[in-house]
Amino acid sequence: MDLLEYQAKELFREMGIPVLPSQRIDNSRDLKGLQIPYPVVLKSQVRAGGRGRAGGIRFAENTIDAIAAARTIFNLPILGEYPQVLLAEAKYDATREFYLAVTLDYDLRRPVLLGSSQGGMNLEAVMELLQQVVVDQEFSSFYARHLTLKMGLQGSLIQSVSTVIEKMYHLFVQNDLDGVEINPLGVSPTGELMALDGKITVNDAALRRHPALASLAAKMPQSDIAKETPTDIDPGKFLPIQNWLNRDGNIGILCNGTSLAMAMVDLVYSAGGKPRLCLIVGEEASGNLTPASWREQLEQALERLTQNKNIKVLLVNILGNTAASQEVVAVIDSYLQRKVNEMTEHPQRMTRRVSTPSPKDSRTRIGDRRPEFLTLLPQFVVRLAGGELDKSQEPLATMPVHWSDNLDDAVEQAISLAKAAAKSRSGTPSTK
Amino acid sequence: MKLTPDSKILIQGIAEPLASTYTARMTAYGTKVVAGVSAGQGGQTLDGIPVFDLVEQAIQSVGAVDISIIFVRPYAALDAALEAIAAGIRQIILITGGIPPLDMVRLLRKAEATQTLIVGPSSAGIIVPGKVLLGTHEPEFYSPGSVGLLSRSGNLTYEVAGEMTRAGYGQSIAVSIGSEPFVGSSVVQWLEILAADKNTKVIVLVSHISHTSSSDEQAAAEYIVATLDKPVIVYFVGRLLPQEKLLGPGNALGFWRQEAMLASPQAELAAEQTPENRKIAAFKQAKIPIAERPSQIPDLVKKALKKSG
Repeated sequence: MDLLEYQAKELFREMGIPVLPSQRIDNSRDLKGLQIPYPVVLKSQVRAGGRGRAGGIRFAENTIDAIAAARTIFNLPILGEYPQVLLAEAKYDATREFYLAVTLDYDLRRPVLLGSSQGGMNLEAVMELLQQVVVDQEFSSFYARHLTLKMGLQGSLIQSVSTVIEKMYHLFVQNDLDGVEINPLGVSPTGELMALDGKITVNDAALRRHPALASLAAKMPQSDIAKETPTDIDPGKFLPIQNWLNRDGNIGILCNGTSLAMAMVDLVYSAGGKPRLCLIVGEEASGNLTPASWREQLEQALERLTQNKNIKVLLVNILGNTAASQEVVAVIDSYLQRKVNEMTEHPQRMTRRVSTPSPKDSRTRIGDRRPEFLTLLPQFVVRLAGGELDKSQEPLATMPVHWSDNLDDAVEQAISLAKAAAKSRSGTPSTK
Repeated sequence: MKLTPDSKILIQGIAEPLASTYTARMTAYGTKVVAGVSAGQGGQTLDGIPVFDLVEQAIQSVGAVDISIIFVRPYAALDAALEAIAAGIRQIILITGGIPPLDMVRLLRKAEATQTLIVGPSSAGIIVPGKVLLGTHEPEFYSPGSVGLLSRSGNLTYEVAGEMTRAGYGQSIAVSIGSEPFVGSSVVQWLEILAADKNTKVIVLVSHISHTSSSDEQAAAEYIVATLDKPVIVYFVGRLLPQEKLLGPGNALGFWRQEAMLASPQAELAAEQTPENRKIAAFKQAKIPIAERPSQIPDLVKKALKKSG
């Protein structure tokens, strides 16, 4: 997760990395009480890069200018993201600018220090002069000094820039970050250093052992993916969502494994279907699987996917042994039964409702009123591969669910149902 | 990897719910689980297996063990692995996933210094069908045979094994080397092991697009072309995930990989030099057959076996 600039600078300040006096602006009116002397820079606080070029960074000489600039920036989306806050910062005149970063090299499996004697917006120039030092064993200051020399720095800059790199490294290690970047690190005519812009990427896996970062994360603007599924869920039982979202898609995917999810997305795309989003349940999701939590995860995922109105077909693929497959059948059965009963008892809560089943038969089997039911929830295609399921089993036969033990067939079925759903929405209503 | 049906196995975190389920299944498969470790549970017996508070105590009581399988929670995994290494264990399978990368950096430094083989993290373990099960593989999908299966995935491995089993191609071994950016043992290391394995006639490699590293796959393609005299079939997943989706916020993108992103719109960077493209290109260039879907793999195995005689 990327922190916003003002959050990153807060951490820089705590670590003793020099940053400019700045103020968070939640509303353009806040500028009337600005504590920083003009001229100031106003910066859009979005996670996307390229803010400068997109017009998200503006200078202001006085309050009137600043309010106008702030209004413009608040209304300017950058790569689809509107800022919720701006950062007002003192203007700084740098004679030189450097690039510095600390990150992990996944090939070398070690942290690396990166530095370029050319910083700023011209990335090609930054990259051309980029130097790297691998932190092969326990960190010590010499690694940082080594980088400054590779960058071609001389005199007092060797020590002062090394100190900044060292502080970045400590920030990186203490907070389990994926990366810390300062670009540019400004150098004043007197040789003073200033982190003019900065970026911190937090490692999601490590978040739970850093409560301060976790609470920052909780305050971040919601991503599109989070908006697609209800969030009234205990964050401790968080379900991983594949990190993509296809806004044109109408097939929801639920499965037990990240690579399996990728395989299913590939299959659906290559057969002409459009996945919307994907939830992953199971061991790798929780790391602590007990029979109760497995059922709970599965139910929660079904709930989240069926509530998403963009999803017309729900493709479920749970790979496991016979016992696991039977469990999935039982969970889907009880989930669908419960849904039907809820809808019957609380018709006002229904959003997809087309016709009302009469309340008196609320305990009858789902299969008995399949037509009404199908209009209320996405269609289910469930693929279970583990073990031989007895196809004559009652839930399998009576639920409005397409069962399959073959992945290719299940994908094909899901796509043809999704296409039919798309057609019936755009053309004449189907008369199933 | 030194692994035989008689290898003596230790389970760390044996009292974790996941471990107790799978330990019983490993034992039922014939795996020799000699002891378990779970601090605070020492002195108990679980499924007939003695439990100790420390790895050292377990070894004192049951003698040297060949492999430790770690089921502890993510933030305890580094410590568990260091404990195993300190007690002299040199083969470790990390079932645990979600271990913070900097913990893995520390662990791998130690593993390199002590020549310890680390399989995983986030591994389903190893299965030699009909002989020995180490980890969480679902044995139902496997059958004994001559296909070596290497996978950077957990249960997608069963999917592929199941396809082969149905088509009559059993497996000599299946190794889940872990799906996370940091894994201890590499694809190349395992290709070398399978090259030497008499029971393996053909190798199926299951990998996925990870946005963090491509060097292991590139090295694997080079090794296959230059050295390996057994046919290899590759199946990649995540190929059709749109690039911009992979580059969205929330990914564990190293800055180095993403390459200086502050001033640059991400879409521009996604263009050509993505690791995923480099990965697949390496195998295409080497003319190694690439399966489009799991159901295609048995056919490719058949062709490969015919060619190699």
